[in-house]
Amino acid sequence: MQKQLERIASHADEWTELRYHVRQSRTLAVRNGVLEASTSLRLTGVGVRVLSLGVFGFASTTDLSERGIREAVGAARSAARTSAPAKRDRIQRLAEAPLAQGRFPVDAADPLDAHTLEEKLALVLSVEEKLRSASPKVVSSTTSYDEIQDEKILVTSDGASAHLFDSKPSFRVIAVAREAASQAMGYETVGVTGGWSDLFSRRTADELVERAVRLAVDQLAAPPPEGGASVVVLDPELVGLLCHEAIGHTVEADIVLGGAVTAGKIGQEVASERVTMCDSGLSPYDAHAVGTLPVDDEGVVAGRTVIIERGILRSYLHNRETAARYGVAPTGNARAFVYSDNPIIRMRNTYIEPGEDDVAAVFAGVRRGFYLKGFGMSGEADSSAEFMFGVREARRITDGRIGELVRGVTISGNAFDVLRSVDAVGNDFAWEKGAGSCGKGQPAKVDAGGPHIRCTVTIGGRQE
Amino acid sequence: MKDTLIERCEAGVAALLRLGATDAEIYGQSARTMSATIEKHDLQMARMQEETAFGIRALVGDRIGFASTNDIEDLQRACREAVTLAKASPGDPHNALPEGTPVVPVEKLYDPESERFTADRVVERAIEMLCIAEAIDRRVILGDGEFVAKRGERAVANSRGVAAAERSSLFLYSALATAKDGDRVSNMDYQFGATRSVAGIDVEPIVRRASRNALDSLGAEPGRSSFRGPVLLSPQAVEPLLIALLLYQTNARNVLRRQSRWGDAVGHRVAAPALTVVDDGRLPGGVATSAFDREGVPHAPITVIEQGTLAVLLHNSYSARALAQPNTAHAAGSAQSVPGIGPTNLTILPGTASKESLLSEMRRGLLVTRFSGNLDPVSGDFSGVAKGAHLVENGRVTHAVSGTLIAGNAFECLENLSGISCEQEAVLNLTLPYVRVEGVSVTGR
Repeated sequence: MQKQLERIASHADEWTELRYHVRQSRTLAVRNGVLEASTSLRLTGVGVRVLSLGVFGFASTTDLSERGIREAVGAARSAARTSAPAKRDRIQRLAEAPLAQGRFPVDAADPLDAHTLEEKLALVLSVEEKLRSASPKVVSSTTSYDEIQDEKILVTSDGASAHLFDSKPSFRVIAVAREAASQAMGYETVGVTGGWSDLFSRRTADELVERAVRLAVDQLAAPPPEGGASVVVLDPELVGLLCHEAIGHTVEADIVLGGAVTAGKIGQEVASERVTMCDSGLSPYDAHAVGTLPVDDEGVVAGRTVIIERGILRSYLHNRETAARYGVAPTGNARAFVYSDNPIIRMRNTYIEPGEDDVAAVFAGVRRGFYLKGFGMSGEADSSAEFMFGVREARRITDGRIGELVRGVTISGNAFDVLRSVDAVGNDFAWEKGAGSCGKGQPAKVDAGGPHIRCTVTIGGRQE
Repeated sequence: MKDTLIERCEAGVAALLRLGATDAEIYGQSARTMSATIEKHDLQMARMQEETAFGIRALVGDRIGFASTNDIEDLQRACREAVTLAKASPGDPHNALPEGTPVVPVEKLYDPESERFTADRVVERAIEMLCIAEAIDRRVILGDGEFVAKRGERAVANSRGVAAAERSSLFLYSALATAKDGDRVSNMDYQFGATRSVAGIDVEPIVRRASRNALDSLGAEPGRSSFRGPVLLSPQAVEPLLIALLLYQTNARNVLRRQSRWGDAVGHRVAAPALTVVDDGRLPGGVATSAFDREGVPHAPITVIEQGTLAVLLHNSYSARALAQPNTAHAAGSAQSVPGIGPTNLTILPGTASKESLLSEMRRGLLVTRFSGNLDPVSGDFSGVAKGAHLVENGRVTHAVSGTLIAGNAFECLENLSGISCEQEAVLNLTLPYVRVEGVSVTGR
């Protein structure tokens, strides 16, 4: 296939990108002792992008013959040319970058395929059994295992030719507890880039069960908080969420060009000087972050990009088109989810770098506030960096001590205001977003994390 | 000549039985999709895609396995994998496929004119959306938008006599508008529309609505007042608060999962008597219209909530069997997933009062255009930001407010529902009025 794609690309008279992609994913899900999913999904095809008359056209095909792929090239070229007369802002050039060549195996010492379906199923069934029997208050229990395995061949007419492999398993537990009329949910997830033994390297399945059940049960009697501005300590998962959802999207160069709040602010102070925020195709501080990728889907070698350096906005996230517009090097953020998706600017592993404060000191400075942990299922942020997130677990902090649980907490505000309010950054670090996906027209496996930080946010509560 | 989609499904079912399945189902879908996207207020890219996919369910006794592939050459391997998965899985007495029932085709699902809708016409419609936004106000930016033309076929066959196929065409369009005036950036507003026919395409109302809402929120002042009181929800805000709860609670799968409170509520009051909700999979021209569900069971109109009383739960064949209730033909999903449960064309029947008169009865309250937040569908608790919100005082809209949070409980909202407008809007497959609910917490900054 690689030779075939190279042959087609070598005959292209316009810039052409060919991406053969086989996605094999499997899901096993058990709920309340019942196997709800035992599924296997394979998607195979070639995505083609052609730059013609300053416009991209995209086509995808499942016909893997040379003729089929050439027809897709023709369709992509025709799509580009059809839209060219109406396109106002044409692409003058694509930024130069070191383009990947060679073979890129996945960093998985213990490959997923070395483990049988029966073994994976036995794990999912046994963990669900533990979840169900952990407390008489648990009325519903779900456990699921997902794996994504990719093989990609990426060839561009200007020299990329890479054969890439990827492997991303994830695991989830959800417990619903009930007592009288009160019902509450607790859930825990892990997800990595790597093999079977990497999946539970941060947290064992038993730890996931224990945490999910405790959260569901403890929340039953928890009161809602009073609303208003409050000093809070965010855990690494919420720090990662804030970095990704509320800041990260506003520095994606396509969003910036669309009028994001960060436009024209490179070099300006946008956060507390304690804050350094990055997006990386590597997995610093802790291996196997789920957004790890050696090469992006334009063939650019993916490294680390410093977005905010000690409070100063330093860089946006680019593909080859936007990098050329801004006169900078591409940052390796062009990604496509499956063969039929065209590459767009996406994050990878997004995080705040650890600071110098002991975690205990981060809490010690709070006289009255909240310790907020984890993402509470839904949320939203927009290009003005206004955000709203549900919080999975919220506890009061009184004179530096973590206390009573409250439920139904949301936080909101402007993410840059939140970053400006940061007055303590812990010296710890964790990746925490590995089981989820980011949606931007198409999904992407991304990770996010950081240390514990102290800042000020608006808490949504109830008015009585 | 190539086999038709239904013939391939039927051949696959026969192959599954030869591989050791005791029952089998194949759902096939093929589609040709053309789209033109808008980004940064400019035409971004035209795309063309053709794909055929098969979803395969193999039963071995009461054990079940599912595999999917988009490669016809890979169908044999996928069938073997489905049988392997079934054999490795524990059994479940409710696993079974539906019996074949005659399917009556629905009207206005496929427009032959769609075959002549070429890529350049797709691009033209996207350009039209940009021109409309510019004519409304130069401050409006369509940050995102899309026009999609799709036509295709779906077919399902099983070993119990199901064999159904239909063609459909669909045009979908969306616009995400932001208004920018100097340093001031508005909230974004997202609107979408859809039609089955070429003649039905009309992008203007959605661009106008998104632009107007974005412009309206440009002058918003930070909400200062906090109170507990009435909130008038726009159709787009009704969806994530009331419809999301209602669909979660009426989904029989969630009853089986013991996550719904409404498992024993059929025949009981779950909402104020003003609320009647119907679902019609055969609605002519509807976005979610089709003659049969994901399992090949014929669609029929049903009343879900009748004057506040729960009439039925929504079922697929699994949940109907497990709860010993009639199958309502709400098996949903694509060839790439096991059939779940979902609504078709869902409508909250309109009330008699106008939106204006509902507002005029509010002493102090909030008009919410869009809700950006969190609903826990198990407890009903919600909290989030009221987007495009306007403060209402003494029956009049006073001004737009930003950063205002609303919180409450959606079960209580259904009970405390105090008004339904006579105006309705289509929100894709939903047709919804403005709904006024009482006792919502409103928190300013």
